[in-house]
Amino acid sequence: MSAVSIATPPRARRRLPDYTPWLLISPSILLLVALIAFPLLFALKNSFYFWNLQMGPSPMGFIGFDNYRMALSNGMFLDSLKTTLMMTVVGTVVEFTLGLAIALLLLRKLRGIKLTRVLLIMPTTIAPIVVGFLFRYMYDPNGGLIPWLLTSAGIPLPAAGLLGSPSTALWAVLFADIWQWTPFFAIVLYAALLAVPGEIVEAAKIDGITPWKQLLHIKLPLIRKTAMIVVMLRFMQIFNTFDLVVVLTKGGPGTSSRTLGYSLYQAGMVDFNIGLSSAMTWMMVIVVNAIIGLFVFFAFKDWD
Amino acid sequence: MEGSESVAGRLLGYAAMGLLLLIFIGPILWFVLLAIRPAETYFAMPPVLSFTPNWESIRYTFFNPGNNAPQLMNSLIVAVGAVALNLPFSFPAAYALSRYKIRGRKHIMLWYLGLLMAPPVAFLIPYSILASLAGVKGTYFSMILISQTLTIPFSVWLMRSFIDEVPIEIEEAARIDGAGTTTILLKFILPMVMPGLIVTSMFAFVFSWNNAAFPLVLANRSTTTLPVGTLQYFGTAGVTWGFIASAAVAAMIPPMLIFLVLDRYVVRGLTFGSVKG
Repeated sequence: MSAVSIATPPRARRRLPDYTPWLLISPSILLLVALIAFPLLFALKNSFYFWNLQMGPSPMGFIGFDNYRMALSNGMFLDSLKTTLMMTVVGTVVEFTLGLAIALLLLRKLRGIKLTRVLLIMPTTIAPIVVGFLFRYMYDPNGGLIPWLLTSAGIPLPAAGLLGSPSTALWAVLFADIWQWTPFFAIVLYAALLAVPGEIVEAAKIDGITPWKQLLHIKLPLIRKTAMIVVMLRFMQIFNTFDLVVVLTKGGPGTSSRTLGYSLYQAGMVDFNIGLSSAMTWMMVIVVNAIIGLFVFFAFKDWD
Repeated sequence: MEGSESVAGRLLGYAAMGLLLLIFIGPILWFVLLAIRPAETYFAMPPVLSFTPNWESIRYTFFNPGNNAPQLMNSLIVAVGAVALNLPFSFPAAYALSRYKIRGRKHIMLWYLGLLMAPPVAFLIPYSILASLAGVKGTYFSMILISQTLTIPFSVWLMRSFIDEVPIEIEEAARIDGAGTTTILLKFILPMVMPGLIVTSMFAFVFSWNNAAFPLVLANRSTTTLPVGTLQYFGTAGVTWGFIASAAVAAMIPPMLIFLVLDRYVVRGLTFGSVKG
């Protein structure tokens, strides 16, 4: 604590190394590292053992990389990864685009627009698992609101229902996510666009630049940093989806809506195959870190 | 765009606004109605909008001592506990990351952010087994402790943005008068960022309240939280929609109220303080 008593402001240059910031930061880091390292190391060990909880309470023999091989060979990993990436990319693009369109509407001076903005965020406040219940009710093939609306509009529906048909199940799950998170993009992009200096927009108007080009070439580049942060957050959240799938489809029918997160959930929480789920834990953590790394490398290079 | 706009343009704007509310608020109201519908109208086709309210589900959720009411209490205990435990860790860290230009600051901040983007499902099995081995499975403590992987990184980010706004001059003066870091933190910074601390705590509360992943594997029958407790209705023969809806409505209300109260901070909270809003 000796450095603390030196009567200089913290931002001033000092001769002695100051450990104060590290003393303040390290408790949080130590706790978090412990909460993350223990489960990861535990999973690493288990990933090399055959262990099914239905057969016994402890690992049943070292099997090397067999769990990893199994996850890679039966599609639990690669097929789910493909499904997940498709869902994630489509979801992020749709949510961003719709959110941007709504943000532009919110910027207009209409009566009641403020109240609309305040209410609009409500879906985002709901727990995803509860959103799952809500959509399971609305998708019900026997009297749910959504099939009724679509049928009334003359749109043919699969006989097994939107959640029960392999061609629509994944998109029905994604639709629930889009419903919940489009307002998030709308509100954040609205706030970012509101902060764009009026003079820049005025100058562009005087120069006769069309509103569409103003948005594309002036406003969007100015809010790039905000946009990147929310795109990254949402991309990773959709990538990690499992609770919506648990409530809505359990990965089915077949494997048509099996996301990587649900695949892992299934291995561990449904099949009780601890070894396999541990191997998949590591594979998923590596993929997630790689994606975050790419985002950080490309989007946050010039970040302070 | 405004002012000189045509009547048609304005009408189009109002139509779009109405459509937005219908799409994004309509389903929530539809679910609220489900909680007070008589059972025979749950899946009536075409949908029935007028009916005599049936308060049985609501009564069951909020007042029946056997089921959802204790889960509501559990949700409250876990979320309040998670926020309370996180403050002594996140507040000093947020202060240090705001005030000191230490090496690797950017990477520390990104590391916290990375934790918020980690896949919770990957940790469920290890947490479940480790909690059993440690003999804490089913306790509030286990859920509160594991929630820290969300609440600490979130609070550090959001609180740092509030501390950034506190002028540094006051601290500098205090330091010249010989005040140590602990004194500065508790006597000078804390009172000045109290509003920010409250905003952060309320959002962290929502974060923890809405988390279903950890209680799913760490809670037992008597400590389970409301959203997870609601899952049990899917297990019984025939889904009891009225009960699900009224329990879900109970789970929705606190986050919604908090977002309404914190309206001007919503953008900031949702982006962990990186967008001021």
